[in-house]
Amino acid sequence: MRKMLLALVLGLTTTTAFAAGQHDASHAATSEADVDRTIRVEAGDMWFDPEGIEVAPGETIRFEITNTGNIEHEFVIGDAQAQEAHREMMQEMDGSHGDGHEGHGGHDMAEGAHGGEMPAVTIAPGETAELVWTAPGNVERLEYACNLPGHYESGMSGNIDIRE
Amino acid sequence: MASSRVITHPLSRRQILKGGAALGLGSAAALGLRPSWANPWGQTNIYSKGIEVGPEVSLAIRRESIPIDGKEARPFSINGTSPGPMIRLKEGQDAVLRVTNLLDEPTSIHWHGLILPPGMDGVPGVSFPGIAPGETFTYRFPVHQNGTYWYHSHSGLQEQLGHAGPLIIDAAEREPFRYDREHVLLLTDWTFEDPMSVFRNLKTAEGYYNFQERTIADFFADVREKGLSATAEMRGMWAKMRMSSRDIADVTGSTYSYLLNGHSPEENWTALFQAGERVRLRVINGSAMSYFDLRIPGLKMTVVSADGQPVQPVPVDEFRIGVAETYDVLVTPEDDSAYTIFAEAMDRSGYARATLAPREGMAAEIPERRKIADRGMEAMGAHDMEGVEHAEMERGADGDREGMDHSTMQGMDHSNMQGMSGERSRMNANGMLAAGAAQPGSRYDQAGIGIDSGERRVLVYRDLKAFTPWPDRREPERELELHLTGNMERYMWSFDGKKFSEVTGPIRFNKNERLRLILVNDTMMEHPIHLHGMWMELENGQGELIPRKHTLNVKPGERVSALITADAEGSWAFHCHLLYHMDAGMFRVVKVA
Repeated sequence: MRKMLLALVLGLTTTTAFAAGQHDASHAATSEADVDRTIRVEAGDMWFDPEGIEVAPGETIRFEITNTGNIEHEFVIGDAQAQEAHREMMQEMDGSHGDGHEGHGGHDMAEGAHGGEMPAVTIAPGETAELVWTAPGNVERLEYACNLPGHYESGMSGNIDIRE
Repeated sequence: MASSRVITHPLSRRQILKGGAALGLGSAAALGLRPSWANPWGQTNIYSKGIEVGPEVSLAIRRESIPIDGKEARPFSINGTSPGPMIRLKEGQDAVLRVTNLLDEPTSIHWHGLILPPGMDGVPGVSFPGIAPGETFTYRFPVHQNGTYWYHSHSGLQEQLGHAGPLIIDAAEREPFRYDREHVLLLTDWTFEDPMSVFRNLKTAEGYYNFQERTIADFFADVREKGLSATAEMRGMWAKMRMSSRDIADVTGSTYSYLLNGHSPEENWTALFQAGERVRLRVINGSAMSYFDLRIPGLKMTVVSADGQPVQPVPVDEFRIGVAETYDVLVTPEDDSAYTIFAEAMDRSGYARATLAPREGMAAEIPERRKIADRGMEAMGAHDMEGVEHAEMERGADGDREGMDHSTMQGMDHSNMQGMSGERSRMNANGMLAAGAAQPGSRYDQAGIGIDSGERRVLVYRDLKAFTPWPDRREPERELELHLTGNMERYMWSFDGKKFSEVTGPIRFNKNERLRLILVNDTMMEHPIHLHGMWMELENGQGELIPRKHTLNVKPGERVSALITADAEGSWAFHCHLLYHMDAGMFRVVKVA
């Protein structure tokens, strides 16, 4: 049992920073100094590791997402409803992204429900991409997901619980 | 009992909780009798006909009275159930499977889709002599694969009477999807008739089980729609082929009870879930003769595996499963309500049904059955098939290839088939199509007769795509073309016009050669073609990511191809998996030397 718990801790390769300064929850450009914490995420075929994270409202996170799978994945942050809308759009487009979502590893926005935008990044197999994001103060739960057709349904999602 | 063996997997607290939930909610039939366990990826081990966990399993074959659909029946049983229990092995194990024949006739078990030594394949007369009454045969082989497979008798027509069951192999490494719970759905077609008399009926009276033949009323309806001359011409063509345009299946719901895990639609077998769980359904078509179209109204299904091999996920509303094929799908029912698992026979003469529900005793609406399709519509160009209709008509169904006009095959190259123009230019050094390219004359973008892809998203062969290229990347050195031939009226089915009893020797594969097998269906029926001992890489146009299958559905008039690495020395069965077609002669031995 102890061995297993250790494995679980190692599995969550998060490094906690002590600073938890004030940030507003906008998507404004964030400098290196503003990052409170780096969370490494593994995107495999068809899963994310870790399968869920906890953040504080206003915390700025740098996600380092490594695609260890054989096919392309994306990492999108948004609420469940917006993720579903994005997923439906992707399926209609047969898996290809629209404008500005072509490049691998670049910062991007995915279109969610009602034209809202979600922070998103696409990662080619073997590559690592970064996404800096600040947790909003007005919601309790968001999801990170890959919405390429069938990927979310196969298990590529995780919850972001936002609490003090 | 083998199933009481403790499986040691490190379990996290969450997974233990999951296991507990499975226990609390599990199928009532399985609970209390069978232990439930979970592995790190959330598998739950529940199957309504019992489970035998490997690597060492003993199976006893009997013929006994077991009610089916509430009526008196005498099926074959395996360890007392019919269909048999789920056999659960693990990748990397050395399986030891002892099969004891308690019948008064010889029997056998073939492990469908498994790559194993030729002596362990279980085909009497090809792999071994069979298992005589009173004898025990011990199958021993290393398990080098994982996924959803099945097992069945390869002796006579025993398979028709419940001599089959699911064979599940757990992966040694993480699979490319995650799930909270799983269920096996084994589809079969049961008859209360003696299979020998079913076969005699088919031989003596074509259309014996087909009560959906066109009538004089249909004739007048056609005349109204198409005019007299077109109608008369169409009827004439079908007459010339000695077939009816409503020969969708040769054995139908008029004799068959379609069963799911051994239960009739009325018995409503129930698969349980908790709202929000991701559920893996392992669907196996263990029928003798029946193709099914499966859907779960209200739920999107994501296909994650075909014939036991992982494929890139495909979200669909419905899929067609040929005889002997398997598909794994994921569903995530979000609310606390019941869903109908609806598997409609391809000819619409009946259906198998079960319910996916949070509790026992629930039911959802059963969809209305669709009308039988008419092959005339397909042949008359309803699917962009100009050219094909003539080829099909001229070829006829009597296995006489001399009369076949190959120039019309050329004509098909120019027809409007998806993705073909690009691939035609890709030839390899031998002047053959590049590995992975779709053959002209293939219809991988169509699910087949009577299934409307406009109405809902239906799985097609073109969708199947592996995650990584299979190890042998060689271009094919040689092409071997076989025609699927038959005469419906005389119920003769064959390869290249020759029944198994008429051929002099085996089909020869050279040891370790890379071969392209081309199958041309000269008949107007679907044939699920199964090669033992080696994978067939279906050249569905996905290039180096073509999927690996053990059974290929070849649609009427279609030309499909597969790449084979002939690395399995020995003799192997190769046949149509429609039981009565195989018995009628659509069977060959492949010898790899």
